[in-house]
Amino acid sequence: MNFTESEERTALRQAVYELGTKYGHEYYMKLARSGGHTNELWDEAGKLGYMGVAVPEAYGGGGGNIGDLAAVCEEFCAAGTPLLLMVVSPAICGTVIARYGTDAQKQRWLPRFANGEVRMAFAITEPDAGSNSHKITTTARRDGDDWILSGQKVFISGVDESEAVLVVGRSEDAKTGKLKPALFIVPTDAPGFEAKQIEMDIISADKQFGLFFDDIRLPADALVGENTDTALLQLFAGLNPERIMGASFSLGLARLALAKATEYAKSRSVWGAPIGSHQGIAHPLAQIKIELELARLMTQKAAALYDAGDDLGAGEAANMAKYAAAEVAIRAVDQAVHTHGGNGFATEYGLGGMIAAVRVGRVAPVSREMILNFVAQHSLGLPKSY
Amino acid sequence: MTNIVVLVKQVPDTYSERKLSETDHTLDRESADAVLDEINERAVEEALKIKEAGEGEVTVVCVGPDRATDAIRKALSMGADKAVHVSDPALHGSDVLATAKVIAAAIQRVEGVDLVIAGNESSDGGAGAVPAILAELLGLPQLTHAHHVNVEGSAIKVDRETADEGLTHLEASLPALVSVTEKINEPRYPSFKGIMAAKKKPVETLTVGDLGVDAGEVGLANAWSSVVESAPKPPRSAGVRVEDEGDGGTKVAEYLVGQKLI
Repeated sequence: MNFTESEERTALRQAVYELGTKYGHEYYMKLARSGGHTNELWDEAGKLGYMGVAVPEAYGGGGGNIGDLAAVCEEFCAAGTPLLLMVVSPAICGTVIARYGTDAQKQRWLPRFANGEVRMAFAITEPDAGSNSHKITTTARRDGDDWILSGQKVFISGVDESEAVLVVGRSEDAKTGKLKPALFIVPTDAPGFEAKQIEMDIISADKQFGLFFDDIRLPADALVGENTDTALLQLFAGLNPERIMGASFSLGLARLALAKATEYAKSRSVWGAPIGSHQGIAHPLAQIKIELELARLMTQKAAALYDAGDDLGAGEAANMAKYAAAEVAIRAVDQAVHTHGGNGFATEYGLGGMIAAVRVGRVAPVSREMILNFVAQHSLGLPKSY
Repeated sequence: MTNIVVLVKQVPDTYSERKLSETDHTLDRESADAVLDEINERAVEEALKIKEAGEGEVTVVCVGPDRATDAIRKALSMGADKAVHVSDPALHGSDVLATAKVIAAAIQRVEGVDLVIAGNESSDGGAGAVPAILAELLGLPQLTHAHHVNVEGSAIKVDRETADEGLTHLEASLPALVSVTEKINEPRYPSFKGIMAAKKKPVETLTVGDLGVDAGEVGLANAWSSVVESAPKPPRSAGVRVEDEGDGGTKVAEYLVGQKLI
C-alpha cells in the first residue's frame, strides 16, 4: 500500500498548478463575468499534454490514467482556474471512446483528445430524467444505414465550446424491439441540433445549455462502438471517471478557498494579533483541512481502484469521494467567506462568486441523496428506497 | 551540433520564509520549500532553444545535496538530456571559489562542451560571481548578464545589460560561457511527456573525490569568506507615498529610476 503519489504525479501537479497561477483566479473570474471562455489556458494546457494525460500513447496521449487526469483537474481548480469541461471532455468522452470506440472512431478522435484540440460535451440529463436514467426519452431510429435522433437534454455544460456532444439516448434492439441505451457522437453543427443557453446564477466560464434534437440525421458511425451491445458498459465506463473528476474539481476549489482563508487569517490583524491566532477562526479552518485531506485520500483511492480495473470497488469509493469532496468544498468556501468578514463578499477577494460554484458539487453529477441511497443499499445492504 | 552545459541550483522558494541556521550561518535548507532557481529555468530554456534551432545535447550540472535531484528532474522534464549531480557532505558551506572549482571539474567530465549557460546570480547566495570565476577556471570567454543570445556556427553574440553600464554587445567564438538575466526568455512548462521521460534520463552522481578535487579546498572551514553575524530582515517599512498633484506619473517614474528599476 502506498500513500504517496509518484514523483511524476507530483511533478505534474506542480507544473499544472504553476501554469494555472500564471493565469490566476482573477483572470478566471473576469472571463466568467464577461461571458468569456478559458480557451487560451485550455489550449496551452493541451499543447503541454495535460488534457491528454490519460489518452493511450498509441494515439499521441500521455499514456497515464484517471488519477493523473484528476490531478490535473484538481490543480487547475486550486490555482483558481477551474476547467469544468475536463470533467466531461477528456474524462467521460475520451474514456468512453478509448475503451469502446471503433478503431475508426479512436483514430478520428483520440489524437485530438490527446492535445486538447477537441472539446466534447456530454449529454445525459433530460427534463424528466435526471438521476433516473431509465426514463431517458431521447431516441434514435434507423433509416437505412443512418440514425435519426430526436429528443431533449438539459443542463449540458460547455456546448458552445464543443465540437460535438456525446449523447446518451436509446434505440430499438434489433432482436427484442425493446428500447436500450445507445451513445452517439453528435456534431454541434448538425442540422436539427439546437442549443439554448440557460441563464445561471453561477459565475463560470463554462455555460449551461438546453439541447433540442429535431430529427438529426447521423451517419452509422455516429454510434459509439460497432453496435449497441456495449452501451451500458460505456455508460458505466464514463460515470466513475465523472465522479472522480467531480470530486477532484470540488477538492481543488476547497483548496483554493482554504488557501485564501488561511492567508487572510495570517495577515489580517485586529487588536494587535492576526485573527488566525484566535481559535474561533483557526479551529474551523483546521477541521476543514482534515476533512479535505480525508476526501482527497478517498478520491485518490477511487482513482487507484479504477486504474487497477476494479470497477465495482471504484464505484463505491468514487461515490464516497464525490460526496465528501463536495461537502468539504461547501464548508471551505463558507468558512473562507466568514473568515474574511465583509471582504468575503468583496469582488477583490474572489470568494462570493464561489458560494454557488461549490454548491453545484452537492447536486451534480449526482445528488448527495442519490449517493446516500447507493451507500445505504450497496455498502450497508439496506432495502432499496425507490 | 551544439553541446551545452547548463548550471542549475536548488534554492529555497522565494515565496517561503528563508532562514540561516543559527550555528554556522549557512542556509537552513529544512526551513523552506526547495525549488529549481527560476533564473536556472531560463538558462535551461535558452539551452533548449539553441538545441532545437539546430542539433545539440543539453547536460545539466548541479552541485547540491541529495534532494537537489528534484531540481535536476525539473530541468530534465523541461527537455534537458542528461545530468551530472555533485553531492557531497564535504561541500557544506562552500564559498563561490570552491563551488566554481567543483563545477569546473564536473564540466570537464562532459566531452566537447561548446557552451556553458548559467543564471547571472542565484536567488539565495546572490553573489553573482560563479559564472565569471568558472569562465576563468575553464579558460573560456565570459559573456555575462545576457538578455539576448544568438549562436551562429561557432560564433556567439550576446546583448549584455546591467543597471550600471547599460547595454553592451559582446561577441566571442565557441566554446564560451554565458550568464543570463531574467529578461532572457520565459521558461517553458514541462510537458506531461517530458515529466514522464525525465526519470529515465541518465543522472551521474559524483562526490568531490570522484572529481579529483581535494576535500581540503571545499566546505565551510576552507572558505575564503565567512559570515560573522546575521539578523532577520527588518519588517517592511511603510514605503513612499506619492501625492498626485498632476505630476504623479513623473514622481513615480523618478522613484523607480532612483531604485534603478527603470
